[in-house]
Amino acid sequence: MSTPPDSPSHDPALAVVEDATCLACGCLCDDIALEVSGGRIVEARHACDRGRAWFLADRGPGDWPAATIDGRPAPREEALDRAAELLGRARAPIVLGLTQTTVEAQAAAVALADRLGAVIDPSHAADAAPRLSAIARVGRVSATLGEVRDRADLVVFWGVDPVTTHPRHWERYSVEPRGRFVPEGRAGRTILAAASEYTPTAARADRHLLVPADAQFEVLTALRALINKIELDPERVAAATGVAWDDLLEWAQRLTRARFGAFFFDANLGRARGGAATVEAALMLVRDQNASTRLVAMTLGGPGNPAGAESVLTWQAGYPVGVDYSAGYPRSLAGETAADRLARGEADVALIVADDPITALPQAARDHLLRIPTVLLAPDATATGRRSSVALATATSGIHTAGTVVRTDGVMLPLRPALTTEWPTDRELLRAIDERVRALQVGDRAPAPRPAEVPTS
Amino acid sequence: MSVLKVAGGRVIDPANGVDGVRDLWIADGRVIEPPADPGAKADRTIDARGDVVMPGGVDVHCHIAGPKVNAARALRPEDRRGAEAVRRSAAMRSGTVGSVPTTFATGAKYAGLGYTTAVDAAVPPLGARHAHHELNDTPMIDKAFLVLMGNNHFVMDRVRLGERDRLRGFVAWLLGATRGFGVKVVNPGGIERWKEGHGNVAALDDIVEGFGVSPRQILVELARAVDELGLPHPVHVHGPNLGLPGNAATTLELMRALDGHRAHLAHIQFHSYGGEPGDLKRFDSQAPALADYINNHPNLTVDVGQVLFGETTSMTADGPVGQYLHAVTGRKWLSHDVELETGCGVVPITYEDTNFVHALQWAIGLEWFLRVEDPWRIALSTDHPNGGSFLAYPEIVALLMDRGHRDDTLKRLPRRVRARSGLADLEREYSLAEIAIITRAGPARMLGLGHKGHLGPGADGDVTIYTPDVDKRRMFALPRYVIKAGELIVDGGEVRTAPEGRTLHVAPDFDRGVLPGIRDWFSRSSSIQFANYPVRDDDLAHPAPVSVRGTAEASRTEP
Repeated sequence: MSTPPDSPSHDPALAVVEDATCLACGCLCDDIALEVSGGRIVEARHACDRGRAWFLADRGPGDWPAATIDGRPAPREEALDRAAELLGRARAPIVLGLTQTTVEAQAAAVALADRLGAVIDPSHAADAAPRLSAIARVGRVSATLGEVRDRADLVVFWGVDPVTTHPRHWERYSVEPRGRFVPEGRAGRTILAAASEYTPTAARADRHLLVPADAQFEVLTALRALINKIELDPERVAAATGVAWDDLLEWAQRLTRARFGAFFFDANLGRARGGAATVEAALMLVRDQNASTRLVAMTLGGPGNPAGAESVLTWQAGYPVGVDYSAGYPRSLAGETAADRLARGEADVALIVADDPITALPQAARDHLLRIPTVLLAPDATATGRRSSVALATATSGIHTAGTVVRTDGVMLPLRPALTTEWPTDRELLRAIDERVRALQVGDRAPAPRPAEVPTS
Repeated sequence: MSVLKVAGGRVIDPANGVDGVRDLWIADGRVIEPPADPGAKADRTIDARGDVVMPGGVDVHCHIAGPKVNAARALRPEDRRGAEAVRRSAAMRSGTVGSVPTTFATGAKYAGLGYTTAVDAAVPPLGARHAHHELNDTPMIDKAFLVLMGNNHFVMDRVRLGERDRLRGFVAWLLGATRGFGVKVVNPGGIERWKEGHGNVAALDDIVEGFGVSPRQILVELARAVDELGLPHPVHVHGPNLGLPGNAATTLELMRALDGHRAHLAHIQFHSYGGEPGDLKRFDSQAPALADYINNHPNLTVDVGQVLFGETTSMTADGPVGQYLHAVTGRKWLSHDVELETGCGVVPITYEDTNFVHALQWAIGLEWFLRVEDPWRIALSTDHPNGGSFLAYPEIVALLMDRGHRDDTLKRLPRRVRARSGLADLEREYSLAEIAIITRAGPARMLGLGHKGHLGPGADGDVTIYTPDVDKRRMFALPRYVIKAGELIVDGGEVRTAPEGRTLHVAPDFDRGVLPGIRDWFSRSSSIQFANYPVRDDDLAHPAPVSVRGTAEASRTEP
């Protein structure tokens, strides 16, 4: 049931994969037509420049080995044995990465963390934590992206610049589509952009507002007071927010007069002064407006599958990031991240799945990660220059690997791999390690079977 | 061929008219005729002398998987932090519980109660893939879900245009595409009206703006489509005005509107209130009149949605109900609208025995159980977790079997409850056989699962063995043994092994001529590609298709 290619090629060797999902940014566009020739993706139709670069990147096979132990090439089976030995004997193992792989591999990683009694935390946890804790405090009023496309006559981009970071958001979801209740498309929507500087998104918006990055809590709270018709002192508000009173009034009016508004924000809101409280201010502004009209709060989302990591951890452990299995059941790290554990030296072996958190970590955490044994599963894990005790090369999700990913609005999408590879998937490797750790544990414990049935006499 | 014998127990199998001491034989996961040879040996025998043997429990209406359930988990870390947890064992993954347990904990806790089948009652088609991934991680039970259709744009357009054939084709296609089990209608048209900012519907003949259809039309046309397709389970209905005083009038009208069609009315307790909207002065139980209607109309079945006192989480596709509960309780509110299909509302709620409204809701639920004369027509449910967790089922059994326990509880509730509900006058006490009907035999029959809910030859080898106890709550909270497909899975409350269980679904035939129209509409309207909408084979770990227009399943996939 794929859509037919819109420009069939004359190259007989060319294969076309329709309806492929792009993982280059948080849009997760699933309408990409990939042309494959000579074992390479040679064209990614409908993709933006960013997506095209992702699909057309050189995916090898490089001349790097399938596996390394302490930097030296090793047979894959030996590397798996060594990984299981390191992890199975660890006292405080930690599982990191996880945002650049499939739901299926994420589930296998959580299963392994459960078996190991490990701490598991996706690499975007520090960015996600303020949003997640704000939601857990006040809730959220949100929707899938198709609702915005179908209904929104007002779209607010708050502290985000989708024109730069999410190039097709505008055309696919939020601004240009013609929806059932917005038949005029772009002409039927008012676009507002708020940011600390004049962005390309602001340039294409109907109105923009310069909001000092560290005054976002104050501006959002003032807007919430205005839509709730609470009297404010204009001079004090202008002084506290750094935003002109008339601008605030105009924005509040636009929020209240819209039939259906969509408020897009992202991790930078939680990173601003105030942290979770600033996200809460946005969520409560949106929530309160629903007493009279519709307004939904949405995130732009990150590249790959961070939403999948949150989803899988939530259904398996009950907490979307930061889970500690060391007690034999899931506990929430709540208030700290794996980076904090690392920084304090509270991990003795690390398993890193799919994306390398090393550059995102604070220095102290990074230092500790370099001191302890690590097991790395990633497409380029065995490329030279990596420092891992065990490294295993994997296929790339969405290029070589099928499976599913989760869009930022919770919609789960299938992947349609265009290429084949000799490398196994990270899911297969995780399961192989899991099986080996299980065997080690059984060997250690050798529990006696407990008879339940009475044998037939 | 592995043969298991459950020897010498009191077998209570109402579907086959059995209540007496006998042996039960299971081979290759299914109940078989006892061998004619008196010297026949089983590979294993469970000594059930002195015990009560029933089919595994079947839950016809609960919320255990999918985007809404998972959003509720993320919303409520405080609900499980510091609470009981399921610890990792050699047999079982760990998990957390609270009012919305994690997937592995859900399977373990259901099985621990002697339930071996559970049906999630509300999955948006766009969330079907997600729901299947969660169900794959929900072991020890067979599971299925109902597909939300009552606010679907394509459905409403077909209803307006009177295109019954295309509607029927769409329903069949959508069930197959989602690997769903049945059709769910939640507040037909009301969610769409609310999503677009026009407020909820109040009456069956209100018009949904932008679509020109009424809740009545949507409901009746979907009921007709389900009947014409011969689906095993009739249309499963959550009517308008859930939880509002005075909603019984709408409920009665809805029952009448379904005349001539099969239908299952969900969590009927929440739809049985007298009085006026926004006025609690005349808030009372209308269970007598509604139960009377059910008693006289065999086309309808109900489940109760019993409320129990304590902390829980309300979750519903009925978006406006979420907003209402947020406004009433002031507690945190999660709302997530799903394009073209439905809404979703989640709000924490605490049912307090000192609160007149909550206490009356408790009494109305019990009235329903006691006033519906034929136990085959009413199923035990809490609308988990809405009225309370499924873990409260043993308490409900105790309340139904023991009038003294009921009266003791009623005595500590606000006095007004006795004036607004006739519960105190109801002397009926359920027998064990009646409990077996409302917890397994009846729900299985309502679902059209011919291989579930009984212990005749060919039935699934799902068996629960209870040790009789005057304390019925204790008896039903801790079965001695639970057997799933002929395998001992729970022994004295301990998980012995955690088979993955199967996902039951239907795939009705339909006229392929409807597809181009569906595809055109979808491609114009959705934020994803049409090709990426249907669930794929590899999204289900153990699919088990159930035949349409039949009582037994067509095929079976072994784990």
